[in-house]
Amino acid sequence: MTIRARLTIWYAVIFSISLLIIGVSMYSELVVEQRDKMARHESRAVDNDAGKDITQIILLYGGTAVAIGVLGGWWLTRRALAPVMSLTEAVEKIHENNLGEKISRTGNGDELDRLTEVFNSMLARLDDSFHRIREFTLHASHELKTPLTVLRGETETALRENSLSPAEHDRAASQLDELHRLTRIVDGLTLLAKADAGQVALNLETVRLDELVRDNFADLQILAEPHGIKVVLDLCEEVSVRGDRHRLRQLLLNLADNAVKYNQPQGLVTMGLRCAGGLAEFTISNTGAGIPPEMLPRVFDRFYRGDAAHGNTVEGCGLGLSIAQWIVSAHGGKIQIASTPSQSTIVTVQLPTA
Amino acid sequence: MRVLVVEDEKKTASFVRKALQAEGFAVDECHDGEAALAAAAATPFDVLVLDIMLPGRDGLSVLRQLRERKNTTPVLLLSARGEVNERVEGLNAGADDYLPKPFELVELVARVRALTRRSTENKSTTLRVADLTLDTLTHKAQRGGMTIELTTREYRLLEFLMRSAGRPCGRMMILEKVWDYDFDPGTNLVDVYIRRLREKIDEGFEPKLLYTVRGSGYVLKEAA
Repeated sequence: MTIRARLTIWYAVIFSISLLIIGVSMYSELVVEQRDKMARHESRAVDNDAGKDITQIILLYGGTAVAIGVLGGWWLTRRALAPVMSLTEAVEKIHENNLGEKISRTGNGDELDRLTEVFNSMLARLDDSFHRIREFTLHASHELKTPLTVLRGETETALRENSLSPAEHDRAASQLDELHRLTRIVDGLTLLAKADAGQVALNLETVRLDELVRDNFADLQILAEPHGIKVVLDLCEEVSVRGDRHRLRQLLLNLADNAVKYNQPQGLVTMGLRCAGGLAEFTISNTGAGIPPEMLPRVFDRFYRGDAAHGNTVEGCGLGLSIAQWIVSAHGGKIQIASTPSQSTIVTVQLPTA
Repeated sequence: MRVLVVEDEKKTASFVRKALQAEGFAVDECHDGEAALAAAAATPFDVLVLDIMLPGRDGLSVLRQLRERKNTTPVLLLSARGEVNERVEGLNAGADDYLPKPFELVELVARVRALTRRSTENKSTTLRVADLTLDTLTHKAQRGGMTIELTTREYRLLEFLMRSAGRPCGRMMILEKVWDYDFDPGTNLVDVYIRRLREKIDEGFEPKLLYTVRGSGYVLKEAA
């Protein structure tokens, strides 16, 4: 029950009780005392209709007064609570990316204005913490690049100079592989940290999504071939979206690569692009081991990998789907993943059409 | 061929210098922007390798100053920030190429070499390496008199490799020129395509033409 309903009910109860008290006291004043007087004077001339009149007055006028009072009270609580409603609406809109925005205050210095002020200062503190975390990630990924450059460069130089024994050579080559992996992680982290901080500008243009999908399909066939995986493009409707060509290609390749990596040998990948109701819907499904239901909500989390199901056999930086999710939401779209373990996993991307 | 490497991180400057020297370049090294401007004014270099983040005057400012002074030496920008916008900003400021850190040495050397050869690039419509020919008008590839069927992507890959015949091409460079990707997709797309291309142009033919370069790159050339 809302505060408003509760207050109105209490208001009605209090009104009724006071009406009852007024009624009882009126009755005792007028009717009982009159009767006493009459008994004393033994006069029967006065008609004793007062009791009936009072009941009537109380029911008719008192009832009306109560009704008006309750309605007024209802209106009053609504007025009093309106700032709370607007505060609720304002707070509801807050998420990690608009912490910097302030909730507008009434400025009249009442309790709710004070509450808004407290909310605002809490938001400012949160914004500050979020900002620090983002800055930290951004700086960390930048700072990692210089030593990574040196490490990679020197390892490569060592591999080039033919002074290493075969065992040393293998070790250096394996180190270089790991350095490549580390580079991909740092690159992904940099991209996401920048996206969080709103520092990645999309180069928007009208893009024929069906052309990108066909292009991606050609690459996917090549990527899938060594694993004996069959690739099918079942529908590719002509559709344009407003987007960043490079980022959309990155998204498609990312999803295609996952569909191959997480598939089983001789498996199947099905891609499709439909246009319906102002949305371009791209789907890609694979026949891999699938994702257990309890892991599904977390697959877009950074560095989250369904290791229990896949072991460490699948190479990747653990940021692919997070990056895919960022690209989709930066284009105002939605990405979903559904999976039936040991049957199929399907990723659906919806983007607003141009 | 003389290259100026402008990089404040001494270790990076050192292995870049070594790698370029190993490829036969004469290399000068300096560690800040002012020194770079002075060196570029004193000596005509063939290529400048310029790091963006330098103490004092940064790389982009050095580049603008150079272009203002009508110095047209090809410039390869290096950056640890690796932002898409930065690449565009750098190219707008007059850079000829851009390489995000950390990079492959093969990649760096290939790009520097591409910059030195830019003016002398093979513009003819028939490309030839040993008995492999590629007609860039009809997209027809032939080896030893036999026609080789290529997909569009394979054609573009082969054209790129043939135009840079004899010079190693880094994986990122291939992704950039053949796929027009400005990101590292983290897949083995290039390697898989190279393997297919190798099957088509080298299998059953001698001598082999397509080689893997240690590190991560490929080269199409006549002899090992």
